Amino acid sequence: MNDSLIALLTALGDDELVIGHRHSEWTGHAPHIEEDVAFSSIAQDEIGHAAAYYGLIAQITNDDLDRLALGRRPDEYRHTILCERPNGDWAYTLARHWLYDSADALRLEALEGTAHNDLAAVVVKLRREERYHMLHAATWMSRIARGPVEGRSRLIDSIATAFPEALGLFESIDLEEEAVKEGWLPVPSDELRARFAAHAAAGLEELGLPAEVVPPSDQSAEFVASSSGDLIEHNGDGTSGNEIQPSGLGGRRGHHSPDFDELWDEMTLTYRENPGATW
Amino acid sequence: MEVYEVFRRSGHKEPFEHCGAVIAPDPQMALLMAKECFLRRREGEHLWVVRRNDVHSFSDETLLEIAADKSYRFASAYRDVVKKREKARARAEELARA
Repeated sequence: MNDSLIALLTALGDDELVIGHRHSEWTGHAPHIEEDVAFSSIAQDEIGHAAAYYGLIAQITNDDLDRLALGRRPDEYRHTILCERPNGDWAYTLARHWLYDSADALRLEALEGTAHNDLAAVVVKLRREERYHMLHAATWMSRIARGPVEGRSRLIDSIATAFPEALGLFESIDLEEEAVKEGWLPVPSDELRARFAAHAAAGLEELGLPAEVVPPSDQSAEFVASSSGDLIEHNGDGTSGNEIQPSGLGGRRGHHSPDFDELWDEMTLTYRENPGATW
Repeated sequence: MEVYEVFRRSGHKEPFEHCGAVIAPDPQMALLMAKECFLRRREGEHLWVVRRNDVHSFSDETLLEIAADKSYRFASAYRDVVKKREKARARAEELARA
């Protein structure tokens, strides 16, 4: 029964670690110095959240936090593809930040009801920080959404790319059925995905941004090649044509895009030089 | 009449610090009131007044609380680095001798 709990914690921790790493790449490059500090701080928060989830795994397995974060092979990571995508421009980073933190807010809200008491306690803490992350994302989004035209159109393009992939945050986790049955994951991923799609679409409408977006076809095509049959499975389940179809799936099964190889290489470089070193 | 928050600076290298508030009809009058109320005993050399309505704060200040462990943001969390460096240096010297 612990396996499904560990699977859940791994997915949660890996999302936070990988998006935190991407966010941290803005350090020294953000649009202005105050935002550089603010965004770097959020990056640190996300990596801190990963450490909190890995800490819960370590309680069960006696594993080492650094090894969990940095000592696994790329296909052992269970974050969603969205988190590993390169930062691109500030508009893409912002769109992903807003989508990710909107999704995380819903996920954490659901996880407050988890049957695992230690996880429930961690979730209460993290929600307090994520409230601020959401405020940061929403404040930026509302300003860029109002224009000028270049920022607004870049943001719209970025949402078109990132929204379908954000649905991948709610691709089912390993051993999902068991995790739901045990009460670790109180709301199944399918249900969370539906909640998120509706919530994010409403949020975008409120911002005056189009929510009905189609991913650029080359991106999803690129992914199909490296994915398992998951994508086909999801596209073939008879959902209505209006619904945004998830793309960039497979992350929860360890099928990552080439973007992750490059990220993993850099992120784990120091650890691999001297595994087990104490810092 | 409006409320003006008063800030004063005691020296060239000091920061402006909030010291109180005055009620006045406009900024010029607020400066006069502030000078008499807060700078009459040479408490400072510079004075600002700011309309209270122009001061912004978070509507929900619980956002300012730090929820998780942020020890890594403090130098004190890295004190053991010195000891580790000494140990590493000793080990390197030992290896060089051997």
